[in-house]
Amino acid sequence: MIAFTLIPLISVVVLAFTDWNLVSGLGGITFNGIDNFVAIARDPGFWHAIGLTLVYVVVSVPLTVVLGLALGIALNRPLPGRAVLRAIFFLPYIVNVVAIGMTWLMLMNPKAGLVNQVLDAFGLQPGWFASSHWALPALIVMAVWGGVGYCSLIYLSALQDAPRQLYEAADIDGASAWSKFRVITWPSLLPTTIFLLVTLIIGASQGFGLIALITAGGPGDATTTISYYMYQTGFQFYRFGYASAIGLVTFVGVLVLTLLTWRAQRGRALND
Amino acid sequence: MRRKGFSRREVLAGVGAGLAAAVVPGCSGGDGGRSGALQVWGGVPAASGPADVVKAFQEKFPQYKVNYTRFVNDDRGNLKLDTALQGGVDIDVYFTYSQGAMALRAGSGLAADLTDRVKADPDLQVFLDTEQPRSYIDNGKVKALATAREPFFVLFNEKLRQQAKVELPQSWTIDEFRATAKKLTTDKTVGTYTLPDVARIALGPNYWYDGNRSNFGDPHFEQGFRLGREMIAEGTAFPWTEVLSRHLDAYQQNSFLGEEFHLWSTAPFNLRYLYDAKKYPHDFKVAFAPSPTVDGQNWNGGSFSNFIMVNPKSPKFEAAWAFVKFWLTEGATPMLKGGKMPALGNVTDEQIVSGMLGKEPEKYFDLDSFRRVVLASDPKLATDTRLTGFPEISLAVKQQRDLCCLGEKDPGVAIREVRRLADAAIARNERRP
Repeated sequence: MIAFTLIPLISVVVLAFTDWNLVSGLGGITFNGIDNFVAIARDPGFWHAIGLTLVYVVVSVPLTVVLGLALGIALNRPLPGRAVLRAIFFLPYIVNVVAIGMTWLMLMNPKAGLVNQVLDAFGLQPGWFASSHWALPALIVMAVWGGVGYCSLIYLSALQDAPRQLYEAADIDGASAWSKFRVITWPSLLPTTIFLLVTLIIGASQGFGLIALITAGGPGDATTTISYYMYQTGFQFYRFGYASAIGLVTFVGVLVLTLLTWRAQRGRALND
Repeated sequence: MRRKGFSRREVLAGVGAGLAAAVVPGCSGGDGGRSGALQVWGGVPAASGPADVVKAFQEKFPQYKVNYTRFVNDDRGNLKLDTALQGGVDIDVYFTYSQGAMALRAGSGLAADLTDRVKADPDLQVFLDTEQPRSYIDNGKVKALATAREPFFVLFNEKLRQQAKVELPQSWTIDEFRATAKKLTTDKTVGTYTLPDVARIALGPNYWYDGNRSNFGDPHFEQGFRLGREMIAEGTAFPWTEVLSRHLDAYQQNSFLGEEFHLWSTAPFNLRYLYDAKKYPHDFKVAFAPSPTVDGQNWNGGSFSNFIMVNPKSPKFEAAWAFVKFWLTEGATPMLKGGKMPALGNVTDEQIVSGMLGKEPEKYFDLDSFRRVVLASDPKLATDTRLTGFPEISLAVKQQRDLCCLGEKDPGVAIREVRRLADAAIARNERRP
């Protein structure tokens, strides 16, 4: 705990106020006050990465949650082979990220990939990872595909805890399916939804593996999200002080976003 | 009585003790954990030559034992080496392959000063040359010595060349290269994978720098971007969408062997894919042409590389130096099988042929052109010594080249963006202490 969490955390905070390239050792650490933070404010690369990360989060997280909810509701109904279906939809969440990346890379090959062969029927030929316009949407598709099964499983357990007596009372009152969802199901799922939103926002803002594996931040800087920008700054340019400052700023940003999400649901859950 | 928890003071004391316990061993200046054997770290797999070099060294110097550790020569592998060097891991000799890493290591006290040893050795005087440097000299001190020379050349698929009735060039210009690629383009095969680096050929070493600014205002950079883009557009260079979506930069050899493209501008380290038809199936011979010239200039895109360095913290400096000298001189031959031609040129032509071209060189290579282009010529190798902001500039060039080759950005606009980013990187790095 101390070695792998506390010390790195404290180190990042300290290093954020330094100029350090790692190779020069501890003796090479030069404190530079708030220079890194001033540089961040003026760094177009940083703001570009923040913009991309916001797009990635704002599109992928709600999509994952909505589709996960729909899938959870569908899998909560009596279906033939329901247990098998649940396992199938959950599989992407546990498959190795390298296997996922390589498979999607082949599927989304602009020339020979299966996805474009299907889209060709509709006159569409997106360049996916070989296009600065399509690379981020392609990553979003992969993130949603990978997260929907996980969301559906969490929703499934929440749905099974939903109060039966309220549904029975609503049936007696002749409530419509939409009314029951709006008044009973959704409020009872709100804490679960907030949990999913918070964890997915944090996860998406840290999204790194697939980017490093498939696009390396490109083409150009089209998929250089903030976590990849931090990696480039630290591990390619060896600007560890500056990368730590980016990490600190990002941490504060994600914390604020999480608190806002948390605050938005207060008093709206069924049990509140 | 059971306590409820820890006081704030106890928690702080615990954290402090933990920090101290973590930091103190790292500050140790001692020799803890060092073994008796010489520890050598390199990026080439042991089986591709280093194991044989080590074996030969131990036979000649039985008093020394050597352990060779391979690190993968990518960002993560180099970071592993850097942290190991910095953390006091037992490393005596190590290799540096990228110029960006070289600048950091040599400038941060991770490379021993080899100047006196080089000056004192008649065999190594060539490493003091600053015109076509084979060493990295930091503030007048020799910090790293190139073990390999890697000249670029252009490979031809002989079967397809003869079918297309194209003459094998012995010297050519970049325009002739383009015209040849066009002649070689068919329905099934693209003329060339990519274009040689036009600006490098025209400008030579340190071509990214002009005084305390970048040199991307030189028209050769835009010429290179524009030519590459035009060739992709006319179908004579490999489509960049394929290069990116199939990650071809790391696997060019597969497409060459699969006859997806014809001309391949590459270096000796890729010849290992061409002489083993069982492992890398193909049914054609390969011929060699020199790199094309640009505006009468003929700098080769290749360089002296694979720099060997000694850890200044090594307590076995004498053994380390003996190993370095052995690798550079009499021990270099086994590295030929990995495509590493010795920087000192101290091997015979026949050793190079049998070492680099496999057991049946006549079967897979046009030996006349190999002898002419690789053995008999003396290409002007461009080894960079100016390295300010090198990793940042490399990334900027790659990013903008990708956009340009995809046809998403005009070459002039792309180069202006590279120039802006490179100027900023140079200014930022030169401000650093």
